[in-house]
Amino acid sequence: MSAKRVSYFEASARARVAALVDPGSFTEFCPPAQRRTSPHLAQLDAPVAFDDGVVVGAATVDGKPVLIAAQEGQFNGGAVGEVHGAKIRGLLERAARERPAAVLLLVDSGGVRLHEANAGLIAISEIMRALMAAQAAGVPVFALVGGACGAFGGMGIVTRLCDEVIMSEEGRLGLSGPEVIETVKGVGEFDSRDRSLVWRVTGGKLRRALGEATRLVDDDASAFRAAAVAALTHHRNAPADLASLKAAQAALTERRATHPDTRDGLEVWRTLGLAQPEAVPMLASDEFNRQLDALATEV
Amino acid sequence: MSASQQWNTLQQSRSRRLGRAAALAQGKRVEADQVVALLEAVIEPGDRICIEGNNQKQADFLARAMVQTDPARVRELHLVQSVLSLPEHVDIIERGQVSRIDFSFSGPQSGRLARLVESGRITIGAIHTYLELFARYFVDLTPNVALVAAQMADRQGNLYTGPNTEDTPAIVEATAFKSGIVIAQVNEIVDTLPRVDIPADWVDFTVPAPTPHYVEPLFTRDPALITETQVLTAMIAIKGLYAEYGVTRLNHGIGFDTAAIELLLPTYAAELGLKGKICTHWALNPHPTLIPAIEAGFVQSVHSFGSEVGMENYVAARPDIFFIGADGSMRSNRAFSQAAGHYACDLFIGSTLQIDLHGNSSTATRGRIAGFGGAPNMGADARGRRHASPAWLKAGREGRGDIAMPRGQKLVAQVVETFREHMAPAFVERLDAWDLAEAAGMDLPPVMIYSEDLTHIITEEGIAHLVRCRSPEEREQAIRGVAGYTPVGMGRDKRAVENLRDRGIIQRPEDLGIDPRLATRDLLAARNVKDLVHASGGLYDPPKKFRNW
Repeated sequence: MSAKRVSYFEASARARVAALVDPGSFTEFCPPAQRRTSPHLAQLDAPVAFDDGVVVGAATVDGKPVLIAAQEGQFNGGAVGEVHGAKIRGLLERAARERPAAVLLLVDSGGVRLHEANAGLIAISEIMRALMAAQAAGVPVFALVGGACGAFGGMGIVTRLCDEVIMSEEGRLGLSGPEVIETVKGVGEFDSRDRSLVWRVTGGKLRRALGEATRLVDDDASAFRAAAVAALTHHRNAPADLASLKAAQAALTERRATHPDTRDGLEVWRTLGLAQPEAVPMLASDEFNRQLDALATEV
Repeated sequence: MSASQQWNTLQQSRSRRLGRAAALAQGKRVEADQVVALLEAVIEPGDRICIEGNNQKQADFLARAMVQTDPARVRELHLVQSVLSLPEHVDIIERGQVSRIDFSFSGPQSGRLARLVESGRITIGAIHTYLELFARYFVDLTPNVALVAAQMADRQGNLYTGPNTEDTPAIVEATAFKSGIVIAQVNEIVDTLPRVDIPADWVDFTVPAPTPHYVEPLFTRDPALITETQVLTAMIAIKGLYAEYGVTRLNHGIGFDTAAIELLLPTYAAELGLKGKICTHWALNPHPTLIPAIEAGFVQSVHSFGSEVGMENYVAARPDIFFIGADGSMRSNRAFSQAAGHYACDLFIGSTLQIDLHGNSSTATRGRIAGFGGAPNMGADARGRRHASPAWLKAGREGRGDIAMPRGQKLVAQVVETFREHMAPAFVERLDAWDLAEAAGMDLPPVMIYSEDLTHIITEEGIAHLVRCRSPEEREQAIRGVAGYTPVGMGRDKRAVENLRDRGIIQRPEDLGIDPRLATRDLLAARNVKDLVHASGGLYDPPKKFRNW
């Protein structure tokens, strides 16, 4: 039998960490034994988790030192509460001090934990501040998005602040999740039960095509590891200066002009000139990447 | 013999009916807006009517037309049909047009049907198996009028039923050759059919329906929803049952438990060296979850009761495996496949809601008259069987003991989790079927598989080889022994159960060399519908509700 493919989408946060880092290299900070649980959930008599739904620690990947955080989508949809957020923020602050080769954020979250309201919102802003501080200290931060909860709400913003975003097609990235859009704007605006549409609009292939994800991989933990190794090896931080900010803004302006009033990933495939737009969702990520890169070279 | 005896009253009746309908038809073709008038013309009070449908394709347009007929003219009907699963099937009863029903399965209408029975508004003759009902079409329940569904007709009235041929041949043959009237709704009328499934002279009227007949993708199980407990029970089934008996010819019930087995064939079973030794010949619908096993070369032959939405192109491209017509599309046949499942398969495995202390099992619950479709035929020893096979002989030796006359036995297994949803125990002292029978005044409690036919139970606690038990007491302890923490399981005699385990009648996963910690979804050959599409080389085209792309 061929080696088993471990689905990143289905793996737990701890299984993802184990699959990504060098064997035996992981040291967890604030491990479950310390039982740093959410006081807010306890007040509401809601179930708590001993790690508050996020695993943080230090490890090596391909021999390079990294700090790593992995959100557990199975606990409250990976939503960020006060303790959960503080663990990620603390990890990023540590990164600014210790300057590892990179920080890996294994995002799997619908956003802020509603039970914790303001504490969760504050936690998100603290994470963003700490993330930029780490970047300012020269530490690149890579987001890996391939879990069932995707990267939405505050964690969607955090993901877009990262230096690289590694996604699978199954991973989703956005600000408001499909159900939120449908609730606020109506089913005519977005049918959250049309799973095909949801993935065409929020899935990894569209994000890669629009340049929001830097690397697209198959739903395979070893493919995520390979992409993380590649990012560690090849990533060079863009200088945080006015010129690069202006270039980013120009790219966004151009994207808006290229894809006006676009409502569906299919239209983007067509506009980009991919050979068979309807067949794009079935393409393996290697083939999709190859076709996109070929188009980029033609231009 | 009396000289005045009339021997052709049925033919005369048929002529009268056709005479009344003549003005509505152009040849055999009747337009959709004339169909209610057609039904009123050909149906007489007291007729036995079959509205074709099963759990897959449905003569839904004709069923809707039946509900629009005049209850003063179309009345006192006796419905004789596989399923009562469309709302219209029960609407006709509520409109007072039906006095009696004989059927096999009611699925989504089971609650409404139970209320009609309890209020005395309808009499149920019996809830049959499919094969049993088809058999009665040729004895005492021959339809006077059959309303069937076909994909296409030609101008002569030949029908193409294609991959979803299903029940049509059995219904039409019984009706047409006993002077009945056959009306077919068709999706389109064409000049030339891909092939003829039903010849024109068995068909009286063809009606182009405004919308294609409905087909339910009933046999599609999304691998993403298979649990690790189901992976474990699949490992137990493969090692403790399929490999143990060398099962090559089999039928699987619908469900995630059996889908898990199908998806473990190219991985776990292949790892055990079982390719070519188990699961080579099937009576089975084209389950999408069988694709990886077919592609891995496990499967040699599959005959199907019906088709499955989205599987048409894949099936057509695997003519060595499936039964394919000269036109290149599959032909299914429910009656033949049911007979195949009953007589030519060595094993049936399926799932249920309740098992009692004797090993009787049923999916019936109070307030729902659902029926079982084909499972009782698959899940019953074929007493008429006269050919031997290693699996059948081994089960027979174990089940019948060392008796003077050698004889085999069919392997009939139920896979259940000890607790089903809402923490309802799967093992019970008394089946709900008894309450249902009392409430509905039925002669028999609706049992899906009888104790005497059940040879194995598989749960996450292990496998119980009931076929190896020597007494009813042993059998009860074997059942309790795999019933886990349910009240039935907690009531076990620990010493008796350990004794059964020593004798190999109960086998825990560890007794089979299975480490439950290795029972992960990573063993599944496909983990989602998209994996199935990839496995099929892009030939499988799943319905939209199973896509997330």
